[in-house]
Amino acid sequence: MKNRIGVYICHCGGNISDYVDVEKVRQAVEHEEGVVLSKTSMFACSDSNQNEMVNDIKEFGLDGVIVASCSPKLHLTTFRNVTERGDLNKYTYVHANIREQGSWAHSDDTDGATEKAIHLVKAAIAKSRYAEPLYTNQFEAEKTIAVIGGGIAGLKAAISLSDKKSTVILIEKNDKIGGHTAEWGDLFMSDEKGNELINRIYSDLAQRENVTILTGAEVASSKGSIGNFTLKIRKRPNNESDPMEIMEVNVGSVVVATGFDHYVPQKGEFDYMINDNIITLPEFKQLVDKSTGNRLVYKGKEINNIAYIYCVGSRQEDGENTYCSRFCCTSVIHTAIVAKKKFKNINNIHLNRGIRTYGKQELLYSESLELGDIYLQFDYNNPPQIATEGKKTVVTVKDILSAGKELTLETDLIVLVTGMVPRADQSIGTMFKLPKGRDKFFNEIHMKLRPVETVIDGITIAGACQGPKNISESVNSALSAATKSYSYISKGTLETEPIVAEINQDLCVWCGKCQEACPFDAIEKQEVNGKPIAIVNTSVCKGCGMCAPICPEDAINLIGYTSEEIMSMIDVLA
Amino acid sequence: MNFKLKKNAKILVFSTEKISDPAIDMAGLLKLHYPPTVYTITIPCSSGIKPAWILHAYEKGFDGVFIAADGTDCIFGESCTEKTGKVVSMTHELMKSKEIDTARLRMAALCSVCSEAFVKHIRSFNEYLLKTLHSDS
Amino acid sequence: MNKDKRIIDYDALVIGAGIAGGETALNLANNGYKVLLVEKDRSIGGKMILLSKVFPTLDCAACITTPKVSEIARHKNITIFTESEVTNITKNVENKFTAQITKKPRYVHVEDCTACQLCEKVCPVNVRDQYQFGLIGRKAAFIPFSIANPKAAAIDIENCTLCGACEKVCPTHCIDFTMETEYYELHAKTVIMATGFNLFDPLEMPRYGYNQYKNVITSMQMEREIAPTRPYNTILRPGDGKVPDKIAYVLCVGSRDKTVGNPICSQVCCMYSIKQAQLLMGALPMADVTIYYINIRSFGKGFEEFYQQAKGMGVNFIKGKIAKITEKENGNLILRYEDINEGVLKEAEHDMVVLSVGAKSNPTAKTIFDNGTLKFDQLNFIAQSDLMESPSKTNIDGVFVAGTASGPMDIPDSILSAGSASSEAISYLIQNELA
Repeated sequence: MKNRIGVYICHCGGNISDYVDVEKVRQAVEHEEGVVLSKTSMFACSDSNQNEMVNDIKEFGLDGVIVASCSPKLHLTTFRNVTERGDLNKYTYVHANIREQGSWAHSDDTDGATEKAIHLVKAAIAKSRYAEPLYTNQFEAEKTIAVIGGGIAGLKAAISLSDKKSTVILIEKNDKIGGHTAEWGDLFMSDEKGNELINRIYSDLAQRENVTILTGAEVASSKGSIGNFTLKIRKRPNNESDPMEIMEVNVGSVVVATGFDHYVPQKGEFDYMINDNIITLPEFKQLVDKSTGNRLVYKGKEINNIAYIYCVGSRQEDGENTYCSRFCCTSVIHTAIVAKKKFKNINNIHLNRGIRTYGKQELLYSESLELGDIYLQFDYNNPPQIATEGKKTVVTVKDILSAGKELTLETDLIVLVTGMVPRADQSIGTMFKLPKGRDKFFNEIHMKLRPVETVIDGITIAGACQGPKNISESVNSALSAATKSYSYISKGTLETEPIVAEINQDLCVWCGKCQEACPFDAIEKQEVNGKPIAIVNTSVCKGCGMCAPICPEDAINLIGYTSEEIMSMIDVLA
Repeated sequence: MNFKLKKNAKILVFSTEKISDPAIDMAGLLKLHYPPTVYTITIPCSSGIKPAWILHAYEKGFDGVFIAADGTDCIFGESCTEKTGKVVSMTHELMKSKEIDTARLRMAALCSVCSEAFVKHIRSFNEYLLKTLHSDS
Repeated sequence: MNKDKRIIDYDALVIGAGIAGGETALNLANNGYKVLLVEKDRSIGGKMILLSKVFPTLDCAACITTPKVSEIARHKNITIFTESEVTNITKNVENKFTAQITKKPRYVHVEDCTACQLCEKVCPVNVRDQYQFGLIGRKAAFIPFSIANPKAAAIDIENCTLCGACEKVCPTHCIDFTMETEYYELHAKTVIMATGFNLFDPLEMPRYGYNQYKNVITSMQMEREIAPTRPYNTILRPGDGKVPDKIAYVLCVGSRDKTVGNPICSQVCCMYSIKQAQLLMGALPMADVTIYYINIRSFGKGFEEFYQQAKGMGVNFIKGKIAKITEKENGNLILRYEDINEGVLKEAEHDMVVLSVGAKSNPTAKTIFDNGTLKFDQLNFIAQSDLMESPSKTNIDGVFVAGTASGPMDIPDSILSAGSASSEAISYLIQNELA
């Protein structure tokens, strides 16, 4: 039982103390049994406070430490490490979440928030009294890394890992690698075409001995966790009459680079698939790229006047895709410039909702204006109207740049500037249980500072599967993900959490129910002192606790979550 | 049972570290308010909750217990849903034997971003508990 | 030159300890490489550590930066030189880099300082506090800011009168006026440039009246006014201390503007202005906040939704370019602008104006490499030699660029760029070991 507990309550600037009276919380807990030290701190996570904690642990001989601050997802590890630096076992540290589940959740009720914070800290103290030192187990990590998806992000991740002497398995669903980039034609801010860029990368990758490229292959299932994933891969045979090739690979980490789908307008959305003169941005890019000669011809007809309707499938204020697809403004402006330079008599009219050529891409927008492209702006609630008048396609727009004046334009071609949507095929995300954001793209662990890691240890996300990105942004993301995946396993060993199930040998009478309940086959029957009992294999146990409630003798507890701890917490919360 | 009139019901939530607790955190981040008498204890997986803990909570004065289950998102495998369901049914049996209204235990599967769903569930649970336990009629 | 030079050896030199340089250093250090992180300022953490909250999550910047910063500061494979500058780098025949580093004296022994602030109390000198962007004053013996790392006093020798009061009062005797500039010669296998960006100086646009009208401030000053460690503990206009209730934001100040030599978009100003507007609406519920914009560029993950949320909260958005600002006697400001939606010239009165200043390249990056061997683009950002395939590569093999040194970007993009640069650097180190 801990009896020299130190409690630190964080202001978090004002994030907590604007709503929770932290001094009142401190006073409410300072005389709790076992508490010998209680302090408040402007930023508990700051270096100076961390150092103060280390000194306090030594000076006051603390045997338990509690910080009441933000969510443990942010700083549990930080403070466990502080505890360790004070020469205390890091598992004796207990965290209380009084920000996300305190000050912020109850910013409408400061008294209630303060009262709740007091209870949460008291519950942490109760838990702390029982928190025993625990020790991690080390195990060997598989040094091979799987990259799922062979678009620009997956290819670059594979190159980067191969450069670092990791063995790489690149798994691509389609028969060809290169993803959307290979189909792009001319690229903005580059002299290279998409397929040239892909060929350049692929010819490098194909020569590498430590890279296996599997095309026409899909991951069917995944077992295991960081350090030791077993992936079952189904590969289509080269000869159609042959059976599916099934293989199992063991990898230490996985880079998910499954990319995006183009938004495909519904039939009739801006007359798509009703009027022949209406195509999407990817279709237009292909057309410009594939057309030769000095005139742009589509369906046997020379194209002169092109209208581009922006934000199709993006920034839907009342629709599914509320987000901005980020790349499309620059992409279409660039393609319009290419068309104008490549073909004669092209007039570009951009019907947009505010041009978003951020950063240096602004220079393309300036160039387009200098080339005489026309920009009109419409409001989401007043979209351009398309009408077919004989062979002519006429678009009417209320231009908010000229005080809402209604303009009618005769066009030869209308390009719907379509954005990016999450992959319709979500099987990889489902398989690895990757959380998704509001936009249905995969969610990172922290939007600002940890953009390629996921809550699933060992799985990183690269490229546009995390959200719309252009090519160089995807590459940056891919290289970051590769670095993180590499870092997980580069030491060759990993530590397991010591949080495992524990069986009271005196109470156990072996009924086998726990063995049935365990999803990881971590429980074995063994004879101990002449009686058969259940034994937990701690290197396999993942600490889910599924075995605990079904034990008829109540002989099983999960370390760190024992009945004693939980019930003592309930006692003070009630 | 003799309950005093309360503004809000006292609810114990069991959340899970990787899935439902992030959703509850996000509710805070988005300032989606819910009663401050809702307390969360976080565990690795909802299928590891012992019925005895839940009964202990009623004994100590909690009006309701809410299991924010992992559902199919559980990182420990798909059997979680079925096993959490079993925990609930085991607890219901025990509640019946102690003449506790079984509706005072609720469960819903919450994904890691189901913040709005969490707040909605909690508000309606709170209303139910206030109506059944704390109304003067 | 006759300097006492100390020779030091590291695997990697990272120049700049902002969020990009810090992330790069951590990635390298976590894979076992020894890193020297050189920072010209007194604290690491760059501009991010001084921000209020970050978009679109509204996380407090200090809360997410300080743990990162302390992880960097504590890492056994990272050595930090603050108040230091790399004055020259050459690449030698063995493919190694030789860097000359000047470490200025802090006049405080950091390891002994307890940040008790007694020196601050007795120091008689008052100067403008650059870490609060001039909103308030500070002493010549001072702790840079409350969450600085290292959190230790420093002596601003340029403004110090050498009265010795601080030295006498210091309980640990850590103030030492005999400290001298130290010179180092570093040998490193790879160099990562994370030299960041400079904020546009609004004095270049006199028509907005910055420094002339008291209630015209920059967005960075507003960041400080709304930060948790804010100087006034409330939001007020500097002219007379009145709490503002009609605040205007002028976007694209020093961005998308050829007349000031910066034709590109700074990528972050729309979003930080929207963020500040949301925070102001929260802090001053009665205040009107108006954002004058050309285009709103809410292009990143969750940004568009954040923009819509601000509209829903009642932030006014006016599509219009500000022609001129004039000051009234009561300190209020008249903005003359073209309302683009209505196509007419208008005037509006506000009691405080925030100039959303853009990002420009940091010219010191240009002075580092010998004979201009490192290439820059036409805006003096470090040129990316293969933007599509390897965005962090420069024209010199073994030199990589991380973060805003190559162009404007927001925090997540800086982190990704740093991840990319560290990935290339690790690959380079591994490949070169074998050769």
